[in-house]
Amino acid sequence: MIQCRWCQAQNQPGTTSCQTCGAPLDEKDKVSDSGWREAPRLRDMTEFQFSGSTCQVEGELVPVAEVALHPRDGVYFEHHVLLWKDESVPLSSLNTGGGMKRTIGGMPHIVTVANGPGRIAFSRDAPGELVVLPLHPGMELDVREHAFLVASHSVQYSFVRIKGLVNLLHGGSGMYMDRFVTAGAPGMLLLHGNGNVLQRTLRPNEKILVEPGGFLYKDSSVQMQAAQMPLKTGHLRHGMYLAEMTGPGRVGIQSMYVHHHAD
Amino acid sequence: MNTYICRYCRQPSDPNSPTCPLCGAPVDIRSSVSDSGWVEQPAIKDMARLQFGQSHLQIAGTTVPVAEFNLAPNDWIYFSHHVLLWTDPATRLTNMPMRGAWNRKMAGMPLVMVEGRGPGHLALSDNHAGEVIALPLQHGQQIWVREHRFLCATGNIRYDWYPSDLWYETGDGNDREMHYPMGQFGDVFGSHEGPGLLLLHAPGNAFVRDLQPGQSLLVQPSALLYRDVSVRMSLHLEYPRNMGFAFWHNRWSYRSIWARLFGPGRVAVQSVYQPPEDTEIIVNHSYATTHHW
Repeated sequence: MIQCRWCQAQNQPGTTSCQTCGAPLDEKDKVSDSGWREAPRLRDMTEFQFSGSTCQVEGELVPVAEVALHPRDGVYFEHHVLLWKDESVPLSSLNTGGGMKRTIGGMPHIVTVANGPGRIAFSRDAPGELVVLPLHPGMELDVREHAFLVASHSVQYSFVRIKGLVNLLHGGSGMYMDRFVTAGAPGMLLLHGNGNVLQRTLRPNEKILVEPGGFLYKDSSVQMQAAQMPLKTGHLRHGMYLAEMTGPGRVGIQSMYVHHHAD
Repeated sequence: MNTYICRYCRQPSDPNSPTCPLCGAPVDIRSSVSDSGWVEQPAIKDMARLQFGQSHLQIAGTTVPVAEFNLAPNDWIYFSHHVLLWTDPATRLTNMPMRGAWNRKMAGMPLVMVEGRGPGHLALSDNHAGEVIALPLQHGQQIWVREHRFLCATGNIRYDWYPSDLWYETGDGNDREMHYPMGQFGDVFGSHEGPGLLLLHAPGNAFVRDLQPGQSLLVQPSALLYRDVSVRMSLHLEYPRNMGFAFWHNRWSYRSIWARLFGPGRVAVQSVYQPPEDTEIIVNHSYATTHHW
């Protein structure tokens, strides 16, 4: 058997891409000297499975995730990432709670649900990569707002408010993060990262400082708080803040980002 | 070690390495040259390492590449705080004030640079899909760079900035408006105290061409990425022939505003650019040649 180095799933000998996450199995890992691992660049038309459904990734500049839904499967997503669908695929809405607070925070308080059977496709509107994160039971992942592309129905969706006044005022990742949790069953989560996506696993109490706009996702075990740098920027001599991540757990970043507190 | 001259950075390099250790260009590829003589700048290979001083950097990614620095204790780089992606807590970050704060503010340029000092790691990336361009500079060598294309430079590279001298004015009275199709200022980088390394970010793809003495070329002003300081430039205004309709339009809506570059020297362009706006009639401009078809 071949173990996928991205999602750790086992694959039959002779397969060239992981059946669980689509990562190429016949390429060397791309890990920088300081330990950042590039998210696997999925080959055009790569397919992988989740539950009884299949996802195919098309394109490489702004990739599209095309899902062939099994009759008993469903996925949910923010409605503006829907690229096309079969006419027969039913859509419904799911209230995430938090209504007005999330609206004020720029987050959708309703996500759309699509159920099988049928085909449906998703993409975001920036050059970047699809990050495929199979979630094993009991996992919790926090994702920056508007980076989530689609998740399988077995993944529970909630959100966490970024705590602390300093985080709200200076942390560029916004007021809320999406939280994805798996209970008893595994699930599939697809994100869109702008530019290139890199992941690093922090040891317990290991720290890294990340531009808040570059933050993409983290295990919920990773603590995040704003850290002021000994720098002043811009005409008004603003303080500069970075997101201090403290392990243990994975941290994912994107190389293209919107800078929220640039001057 | 045999040496050869890297065809991209034009510095003595190592032919036995898969990539040039000074600029990251692949060694084992054929040059891609268009019929008109533009040499395509090859993208730096994913995870390629570049050496400078006692430090090195590694390029990660190909869509929006990240430049990841491993800084030795006595080495330092400077950059705008906008491009900082992550840093080790151990890396020392301090302010590097720039002269001419008011003019820089008016031109939309960063007022304060950040110095990053080793030992430690930090990483930089820009906000556009494109390429990182590494320009090793020999002692005393200078290069002109269009504003906002600068990613970072090693501490021994001196940074200065000058008015670009390409401008035109439209409207009259209170509606008079200045336009700078190449930006109000241009950056000039020069290496002193030994060789240094300058990193740029080019949105899209980058192409390089050598102009012979007296040879001239028209390029979109916002497509110019860098040029040798020996290359001169001026404005060129071109108006299409009036085909008998919409006669008032050809005075501005269909005109072309070019940067005319005069050799000798190296020029580089990027494939992503913003053409100057179709605005009102030009009432005044910097030195320009004009052509009506």
